[in-house]
Amino acid sequence: MAYNPRVIDPEPLHESVDFSDDGVDLTLIRWMLSLTPAERLRVLESNARSLETLRGAADRR
Amino acid sequence: MPPTVADVSRLLRVLAEHDVRFIVVGGVCAVIHGAPVSTFDLDIVPERSDENAARLLSALASVDAVHRDLAGRSIAPDASRLRGPGHNLFMTRSGPLDILGTIGRGRDFAELESRSRTIDLGDGLAVRVLDLDALIEVKREVAREKDLATLPILVRTLAERRRRGD
Repeated sequence: MAYNPRVIDPEPLHESVDFSDDGVDLTLIRWMLSLTPAERLRVLESNARSLETLRGAADRR
Repeated sequence: MPPTVADVSRLLRVLAEHDVRFIVVGGVCAVIHGAPVSTFDLDIVPERSDENAARLLSALASVDAVHRDLAGRSIAPDASRLRGPGHNLFMTRSGPLDILGTIGRGRDFAELESRSRTIDLGDGLAVRVLDLDALIEVKREVAREKDLATLPILVRTLAERRRRGD
């Protein structure tokens, strides 16, 4: 297979990640704002349940 | 054993079904406005009239609410405390629920109502939520470490919303 520098050397991350000066990930904010309020609430509940599951698994080890 | 994270939708629906007048504040408010933060409880500021306290008491009974108590005592909700300015922290069948008589520099439902709006959360559920700029003001007033930690995210979320014309 021919060498493809675009695959081996992807664009540096700093060109695609958009942080504010104070370190806030603006891509996450834009993603959340693309959702409806109901969808945002479901994201929160899903994340909380996932963290709870992980914490339970860690406690059982 | 009660859940350790709040089933926020369930708690909101129970409050709405009991016609409780309240404003969603705190982390859930931030998330509804689009801030990428996490929280494990639901914070609300209820109207503090006798009638609303009675409705709130009924809603709390329906989810088996008891005060979160470090000594492990099972203390049931009390209407007189729900009418007061203090904070009542409950554990319910649907997770933690914090009922705050006032927030920030003594702001109660009457003061915050004009800084809030009703937001549709789907499936017939619509609740009153504090405006994001008001939430930021309250967090600055409280200025606890945990509040200050999330402030940059809230401020950037508000700026992004304004940039988009929301």
